[in-house]
Amino acid sequence: MRNAKDYRSALNPVWCPGCGDFGVLKGLTQALAELDIPPEKVGVISGIGCSSRLPGYLHAFSFNSIHGRALPIASGLKLSRPDLTVVAVGGDGDGLSIGTGHLPHAIRRDVDITYIMMDNGVYALTKGQASPTTEMELKAELGLAGVQERPINPVMFVLSLGCGFVANTHSGNLPQVRQMIREGIQYPGFAFVRVLAGCATYQTKQYQQEILARCDLLPEDHDPTDIRHAVDLALTMRFKLGVMYRRPPSEKPAFAEPYAWEAAARARAAEPRDVSLPVDTD
Amino acid sequence: MERPSPGAATSAVAAPAVKVRDSVVLTLAGSGGDGIALLGDLILRAAAHQGLYGMMVQSYGPQIRGGESAVMLRVSEREVLFEGDESDLLLCFRIADLQRFRATVRLHSRSIVVVDAADEEPLPEWLGHTEQAVVRYPFTRVQDGRQVPGPPKNMLALGLITRFLGWPPALVHQVLDQRFGHRPELLASNLEAFERGHATAAAPRLPRLRGHGVPLVVETGNEAVARGAMDAGLRFFAGYPITPSSEIMETLLDELPARGGHVVQAEDEIASLGMVLGSSFGNVLAMTATSGPGLSLMTEMIGLSGMAEVPTVIVDCQRVGPSTGMPSRTEQADLQHAVYGGHGDFPRAVLGVFDVVHAREAMHRAFHLSEKYLLPVIVLSDAYIAQRRQIRDSVVETREMPRRRTWTPQDGPVAFSFDEPVPPFRVPGTPGGQVLLAGLEHTQQGWPTADGATHDKMSERRFRKMPLLAAETRDWYRTLGEDGAPRGLVAWGSTYGVLREWVNDHPEYRVFLPEILHPFPLEAYEEWRRGLQWLGVLELSHQGQLFRHLAGLTDVRGVHSITRSGGLPLTLHEITQRIEEASR
Repeated sequence: MRNAKDYRSALNPVWCPGCGDFGVLKGLTQALAELDIPPEKVGVISGIGCSSRLPGYLHAFSFNSIHGRALPIASGLKLSRPDLTVVAVGGDGDGLSIGTGHLPHAIRRDVDITYIMMDNGVYALTKGQASPTTEMELKAELGLAGVQERPINPVMFVLSLGCGFVANTHSGNLPQVRQMIREGIQYPGFAFVRVLAGCATYQTKQYQQEILARCDLLPEDHDPTDIRHAVDLALTMRFKLGVMYRRPPSEKPAFAEPYAWEAAARARAAEPRDVSLPVDTD
Repeated sequence: MERPSPGAATSAVAAPAVKVRDSVVLTLAGSGGDGIALLGDLILRAAAHQGLYGMMVQSYGPQIRGGESAVMLRVSEREVLFEGDESDLLLCFRIADLQRFRATVRLHSRSIVVVDAADEEPLPEWLGHTEQAVVRYPFTRVQDGRQVPGPPKNMLALGLITRFLGWPPALVHQVLDQRFGHRPELLASNLEAFERGHATAAAPRLPRLRGHGVPLVVETGNEAVARGAMDAGLRFFAGYPITPSSEIMETLLDELPARGGHVVQAEDEIASLGMVLGSSFGNVLAMTATSGPGLSLMTEMIGLSGMAEVPTVIVDCQRVGPSTGMPSRTEQADLQHAVYGGHGDFPRAVLGVFDVVHAREAMHRAFHLSEKYLLPVIVLSDAYIAQRRQIRDSVVETREMPRRRTWTPQDGPVAFSFDEPVPPFRVPGTPGGQVLLAGLEHTQQGWPTADGATHDKMSERRFRKMPLLAAETRDWYRTLGEDGAPRGLVAWGSTYGVLREWVNDHPEYRVFLPEILHPFPLEAYEEWRRGLQWLGVLELSHQGQLFRHLAGLTDVRGVHSITRSGGLPLTLHEITQRIEEASR
C-alpha cells in the first residue's frame, strides 16, 4: 500500500502559513494513496497562480504551464495517454477568468480528467486584486476593481454546462477534500471539484470565518443524480459541501438531451401547415 | 521515390533547370453553380491518369460560396509548380464574370477563347489580343428567348476541351466513372453531355502532350502536409478551423483515426496548441495547423514549448495579414512572427514549404527537428501551396520515424543538466522518471527558481541546441541557375515554383532558396553569393521580412529588397518587371 508521502516531491511549498492550498495538497496525495495509483502514472497539470504551484510539490509527471491553459494540456495528455490518471489544478482566476473559455469545451468533450479548482476569491500571487469569484461587497470594502461586476458561481456554471461530476468542498475539511478528489478521479468522465481554499494573506480571519459559517455539509440523503435539486442548492447563498451532482455515466447530460430536434420535428409534423409561409425548396 | 533520411548528412539540392515548353495553360471562369472547380479537377485527373503533370489554382470572389469563380490549370509533360501566366485557352460561361479576374488572366496571339453563344458581351480589352477566332458554343439552351434547362455546362466544356487537347474519350470516361460511378444516373447524364461536347465539329487544336502512361497522384498542399505528418508518425492533431488551413484537419479527420490517431477540433488555437503540448508530453507525436491569426494566438504557448522543452510542430498556412487581412489570398509576411514572435529567449526552428511534393519532406524534417532537439518547429506553408492541386509522383515512405531520446534510470536523477543541451525526455509512465515541467525558469532538478545566474545558464544551455541544429541543417536550401551567374536572387517558400521557370529565361541569374529560415543556412548563403555583381531579395511582404531577417545575420549593404504585398503570387512577367524597377 502506498502512502501520501510517496506522492510528495522534495520541494517545500512556497504558500503562506495558513493557506487553504495545503489542505488540497494533502487531500490529493492521500486520495492518490488510497487509490494506490503508481506515482509515475499520475499526470498533474496546472496553469499559473498560487494554487498552480501545487504540481511542483508532487512526485509525479507534473506540468506547471501558463496562465489559464491547464485544461487543454491535460486533455491532450489524457487523450493520447489514457493509461495515465490526469488531474488539472488551478485557481479561480486561472479557471474562471483567463482560462474560462476552455472549461465549457473540456466538459463537452468529457475527457476523463479531474479538475480541482482552488477558489480563494482573490488574485493572491499578484498581491490581492479582485478575482471573478470575489463578492461585490468585499470589492467595495477593499477598494478593488470591478465593484459593479457580479461574481461567477462556479458550481452553477459547470452544472449548466452538463458536467457529469460536480463536488464542492472546503480545504479545512481534509477528510472530505480527500473523498471528493478520490471520487472525482474515480468518475469516468470530466469531474469538477471546487475547493473553497481561503487566502491567509489577502483575506481577514473574519472573512474566512464568514465563508466557513456559510458552509453546510450536504445531508446524507442527498440524491446526487437529481440535477434540478443540485441547481437549487447551487443557487442558494450557502455553500453545500459534498458531491452535489453525479450523473450515472450511462446517461446523457440533462441539458444535452436531443431536446430539440426530435421533439420539435414531431411537434411541427403534428401542426397544420401554414401554406402562406414561404417554403424552402432546397 | 526514395529520399535521404533527414538525420543523415544531406547535400543541398541544386534544383533541376526546368524548361517547360510542352505545357498547356487553361483558364476556366464562371459563376457559382457552373461547376468550374469540378471541371478543372476532372481535367487535372484526366491528365494525371495518363502520366501528365500539372497544377491547378482556384480564385474566388469575396463570397465563400456563389459569386464568380475561376480556375487556372496547367498541364505539362514535366512537373510544374507554377500555373503559368498566359492562357492557351480561356473558357468563360459569362463574359461579365471576367472582370473580377482582371489581374490574373492574359491571352497570347494563339490563345483559344471559348464563350457561350448566347453571350453577346464583347471581350474586355485588357485580356490581350488573339489571332484565333472566338469559339462560340451553345452552352445555354435557349427557347423563345428564354433560358431552359439543358445538359450540364461543365460536362459540355469537358468534352470540348479534351477534344481540343486530343485526349481519347475512353480516358475521360474512366475519370468520370471514378468520380460518379456511385451515382449511375448522374454518371449517365454527365457522359451524355461530355460526348456531345467532344463531338464538336471543326475543333481548334491545343498542343498535343504525351504523358508517360503511369498514373500520377493529384494532391493539395494541405493534403500533403497532413499525409507527410502521418508518415512521420503523427498520432494526435488538434486544430481550429481557419482559411486556408482547414483541409489539413479535414484530411486528418478522414485518415488519421485509421492509423490509430486522434483528431480534436479545439475551442480555439490556444487550446489547439495546448492539447498538442499535452499529447507531446505523453510522448505521442502531435501537431496543429493554422493560419496567421491563429499563430498570433498560439504565441505564448510556443514559448512554453521552448521553455518546457516539449516538442511541438505548428503549420502556418500564411494568408494576407495583418489582422483578418484577406483570408483566401497568399502572402509571405508571417516570417518574422515565426522566427521572432514571443516574449523572452527560446530556441526554435522555422521551415518554409516550396510546393506540394516538398510539403511531405518538410513535415518529416519538422518532426525530426522537434523530436531531436525538444523544441517548437514552425512550418510555413501559404495559401498558394495549401489550396493548389498539384500532380505528383506517388511516394513510398521509406524514412525512419522521428523519435526523441527518452530517459532511462541510467541517465541519472538530474532532469535538466547544464552539461546536456538536449535533456533525455522523461516519458510519463516511466518509473522513477517523475519530473516537473514548467514555464517557470527551473533549476537542473526542474524546481522553479528566480535566480538570475541559473536563468542565464539555463538559457545558454537551451540555446546550445541551435548550433547543433544549424550544423545538421546547413544544407537545407535549394539553388537555381548556374553557379557563375553574375546576378543573384534570394527567395523562399512558394516563390520557388515560378522562379524555377523564370531562371531559364534569365541565365544571368542564380537563385538561393533557404528551406530552413531559422536557423538560416548562413554559411551556404555566404558561399553562394560570392562573386555576385547584383543581389536582390524577392518576397511577398510589404516590409521585406526576409530581407530584414538577413539584415540581422549578415551584411546587406547594396542588396536590393524587392517586395510586394501578397494577394496573388508572383508571375514570370512580374518578376522581370520588378527586378527592372529595383535595378534602376
